[in-house]
Amino acid sequence: MSLAALRRLILIGLMLAIGAALATAHHVFLTMGNLMTILQQGSLTGILAIGFTLVMITAGIDMSIGAVVAVTSMVAVNFLSYTKIPVLLFLPLSLFVGVVVGSLNGFFITRFKLPEFIVTLAMRGILSGLALMIAVRDSTGFIQNVYIQDPTYLWFGGQAGPVYIVTIAFLVLAFFTQLFLKRTRAGTNIYATGANPAAARLSGINTTRTIVGVYIFSGVCASLAAVFISSQMMTAMPDLGIGTEMDVIAAVVIGGTPFTGGVGDVWGTVIGAVFLALLKNGITVLGISPWIQPIVVGGIIVLTVIADVWYKGLAEAAAARGARRARDAAADGAAA
Amino acid sequence: MNLAKLKAALRLPAVLVALMAVLTIVSPRFLAIGNLSNVLWSVCVIGILASGAIYAPITGGIDLSIGSIAALTGIFVDLLMNRAGVNWLLAIAATIALGAFIGLFNGLITTKFKVNAFIVTMAAKTYLYGIAMVISQGGMKSILKPAQFLAIGGGRSFGLPNPIYIMLALIVLSHILLTRSSFGRRAIAVGANEVAARLSGVDPDRTRMAAYTVSGATAAVGGIVLASLTQQSFAGAASGIELDVLTALVVGGTSLMGGSGSVVGAFIGAVMVAFIGNGLNLLNVPAPYHPTATGIVILLALIFNMGIAPRKRGAAGGKHLRRTS
Amino acid sequence: METKTAAGRVLLDCRGISKSYTGPQVLDEVDFSVDRGEIHALVGENGAGKSTLIKIVTGVTDRDSGELEFDGTAIPRSHSKKAAQELGIAVIYQELSLIPGMTVAQNIYLTKEPRFRALRLIDLRRMNDDAQALIDRYGFPLKAADLIDRLSIAQRQTVEILKALSDRASLMIMDEPTSSLTSAEATRLFDIIRKLKAEGISVLYISHRMEEVFDLSDRVTVLRDGRKVATLEKVKIDPAEIIRLMIGRDLGESDRGRRMTRKAGEVVLDVRSLSSPGLFRDISFELHRGEILGFGGLVGSGRTELVRAIYGIDAYDSGSIRYLGKDYRPSVRASIAGGIGFVPEERRLQGILAPISVTRNIGVANLDVLTKAGMVSGRRELQFARRGIALMNVKPDLPDMPVGSLSGGNQQKVVLGKWLIRDLRLLIIDEPTVGIDIGAKEEIYAHIEHLAAQGVAVILVSSDLPELTRLADRIIVLRKGRIVKEFDEGVVSEEDVLLASSGIVEGARR
Repeated sequence: MSLAALRRLILIGLMLAIGAALATAHHVFLTMGNLMTILQQGSLTGILAIGFTLVMITAGIDMSIGAVVAVTSMVAVNFLSYTKIPVLLFLPLSLFVGVVVGSLNGFFITRFKLPEFIVTLAMRGILSGLALMIAVRDSTGFIQNVYIQDPTYLWFGGQAGPVYIVTIAFLVLAFFTQLFLKRTRAGTNIYATGANPAAARLSGINTTRTIVGVYIFSGVCASLAAVFISSQMMTAMPDLGIGTEMDVIAAVVIGGTPFTGGVGDVWGTVIGAVFLALLKNGITVLGISPWIQPIVVGGIIVLTVIADVWYKGLAEAAAARGARRARDAAADGAAA
Repeated sequence: MNLAKLKAALRLPAVLVALMAVLTIVSPRFLAIGNLSNVLWSVCVIGILASGAIYAPITGGIDLSIGSIAALTGIFVDLLMNRAGVNWLLAIAATIALGAFIGLFNGLITTKFKVNAFIVTMAAKTYLYGIAMVISQGGMKSILKPAQFLAIGGGRSFGLPNPIYIMLALIVLSHILLTRSSFGRRAIAVGANEVAARLSGVDPDRTRMAAYTVSGATAAVGGIVLASLTQQSFAGAASGIELDVLTALVVGGTSLMGGSGSVVGAFIGAVMVAFIGNGLNLLNVPAPYHPTATGIVILLALIFNMGIAPRKRGAAGGKHLRRTS
Repeated sequence: METKTAAGRVLLDCRGISKSYTGPQVLDEVDFSVDRGEIHALVGENGAGKSTLIKIVTGVTDRDSGELEFDGTAIPRSHSKKAAQELGIAVIYQELSLIPGMTVAQNIYLTKEPRFRALRLIDLRRMNDDAQALIDRYGFPLKAADLIDRLSIAQRQTVEILKALSDRASLMIMDEPTSSLTSAEATRLFDIIRKLKAEGISVLYISHRMEEVFDLSDRVTVLRDGRKVATLEKVKIDPAEIIRLMIGRDLGESDRGRRMTRKAGEVVLDVRSLSSPGLFRDISFELHRGEILGFGGLVGSGRTELVRAIYGIDAYDSGSIRYLGKDYRPSVRASIAGGIGFVPEERRLQGILAPISVTRNIGVANLDVLTKAGMVSGRRELQFARRGIALMNVKPDLPDMPVGSLSGGNQQKVVLGKWLIRDLRLLIIDEPTVGIDIGAKEEIYAHIEHLAAQGVAVILVSSDLPELTRLADRIIVLRKGRIVKEFDEGVVSEEDVLLASSGIVEGARR
């Protein structure tokens, strides 16, 4: 069995164990409503995490996604408040926010060879202010808490039967992204760029285009998530989504996409996102202080990364030992 | 000092003066004494944090946890004094020790497990915030005593606010540490070329751990000053300040790739970041918009720095510790 | 050889290729050709121009003048790597160009994966089948679905070859392909190369290992100082003759080398049975006061690993070291404190702190004496730096100058200088003059000799044979991690060392 498959099995096993424990601890947990809420929460993080996974496979990072959510939802509520343009017409325009931000991120990273985290962190700062600037205000200049009433827009936050629309969208997006990653040349280029950029260039891959591409995709995923999040909340504040980066990172790293790039996939991230949603739900269901959530998220990131690095080190050391022993054996054979 | 060096040394102050000139023209209130001392308040916290946070980038790393450390230590010192009844001086000492310990822990994970400092400290930022939330019960607390503690941030000596002295002392201390001490030499060497430094007898891991320890300790000092200054403590007290500090460092010419940095530059950078914030205030731009300005400034500074000193190619990093014959 | 005997027999034809970067001519009017289905070896000392020639052929570098023709097509003066690849010229890299985390099949077909017509999705099954078919055709012990990460270096090389085959390469260039292979793996590689030849594919083979060249090649071209010296046919290939041609100085008996001398006197370093699995094995030697001990051998023979272990950078497995008469457990700090200096190979990566001033570069190795109560005396540091600069004649003599902006020779002088101002007992230097101009080289040699005259023991690792034979009092030759030859008496020539390094020890015994 491959390591990735083993990891997934362990995660699913853990989820079942936690689920069983929660089910015995509280009767609310195992209700259909609660389970669907877990999936809904996991899907909201998950849509962001899908784009983020691609960035991480190129060994990059995108700290701007939360702020993209904020700006996109502000753009959307502006359309809703000030225009009569139908939702389905302005939605593509909102998604364009992600395209622009992703292009800028990719441009600064590739053109000036600046570290990814600092570029996207700066972008996060820029966008968080921008979200405030474009927020809908009342006549006295205070930011207005817009209540979204447009039924088409609210449809995105709704359910189809017991399942939330966002969960369906998430799974569909996951399926196609996975297909793209594993079954197209462009997807293969993403892995190659992250695993060994020099070799990728040597093989004729345009790594600049690949990197700009994944940041654009990440931005679009964030914009998409913004629609679902604001629709579910039926409102949007200018700080919507800011800070969710850490949840997303946690979901991606538990799912088996490391910071070092070159490996990972979307199904891992799907499991990671649901896993994280389950943990958070557990915290709520058990009535534990929600303040420990950041501790859990930060702790998961550190522990997962340490475990991954440690395991990788062990595997590499074992491989190196094996190779050296083989060399000695061969040398002995030659000497004999 | 030759002409080229003089020019390089004067570049940053010149930009600062230019910035002040622009702000004065745009808003005549800028140069008013009252306004300037207002700016100094915000310079102080950024300057204090920057004086220690500079060592992480110099060794080729980064410390994004300083904001959370500052908030957590602000809560901690309050709890020690006003809940546990510890003497204020002792409480401060213990709080700085806590900050140093958190920094050491960051450094330990970064070096021993070879995890990217950015990830380690960003995760630390998150869980330390959580810890701060838990121990503060998620609330904001006013700090009303002891008076000696409140005097640290709120008092004045010789006509100037106390935090200015603390900041200047730390800047001078850090400047000496960086330019005169053996630790400073080692930190720069590790950041410039870890392998070569190691072959010259420098222990890169120990140097890095020391860098994060210093960073944590000064973040605690910043947290104490902030708590005393604002007379309150809460988990979000210094949230986002790491971007301001990072901007101050980058504007001051510290390379994020390691191997170079200037404490005086960072101080000027802190003043500039505060001036920009203040200028925006004077122009009636509300505070929450400031990250936009900060983000733009940091990007421009990074690109500008690159023009002066092109990014080193493959000089640093453990990957070159390979065996070849 | 330069005349085409039959139309289309010659695959690669180079005529009058010249190239200079800055200053000296790297290639000077080189004529050279590779026939179809031929295994052609290119040999020469370091700096003879082999890699430049390869770079020109593969489109990495432009030539200054000369004609280049491949498969009947004239190649323009400036062509790209991609163009060369499309023509059918492939370079087999060691591991550089493979993507970890991907399978053998994915690597072979990277950027040219077979796709379904509909939706243009990659046809995974066909990709695997095609890859496996290709593998099986050559009988390689590989599976198309194996992950690259789990393969040995030899297997990765095979994947590189398969990748080139899938590109329909007609010329494969292999640069020192056996340097990190075991002998069994090397033998297997030779079988593959012969198979390629049988398929009509040409192989341009670059190696220092004479026995390989001798076994494998149809023809051998010898380069020396940027000129072609000779192209020899299979029947005329004699390893000793090739080595003579490579070194080129037809030396008289009197000055055909340097007389080795065994120094008596105080033993500075006594190494006993030092071993580190896979790197070096059972290494024993003594080093005396004022003695320069040279380590010869090919790249990959374990010399660097050995001196790194002695200095305390990497751990060794077994054996013992006595330094100045006492048992010694090496660590970098203990070595520096005990008067050992170390000048590493790859100056830029390991030697200098490029963005930092000369003063700081010299200071950082002397922090132990410059530091008092944690503080460094800037005044004394500057004194140290000035001493080092004056001693080594660093140009320009500006202590504030970043070392990275000095010339290669002056950079190396700084690296050496930071040790020479100390009270040294032992200096270890690894490839001290790679990429350094001749003037600086001479100065560095003079310093090493002067140092030895003052009683400092020196270990010199060098692939530069004239350097080794000129400086060393004694030469130990390593091959595959073991001592194969020690020259400690009589006159030793470059040729002798090269023969011993290549495994043709008989030659050295004449």
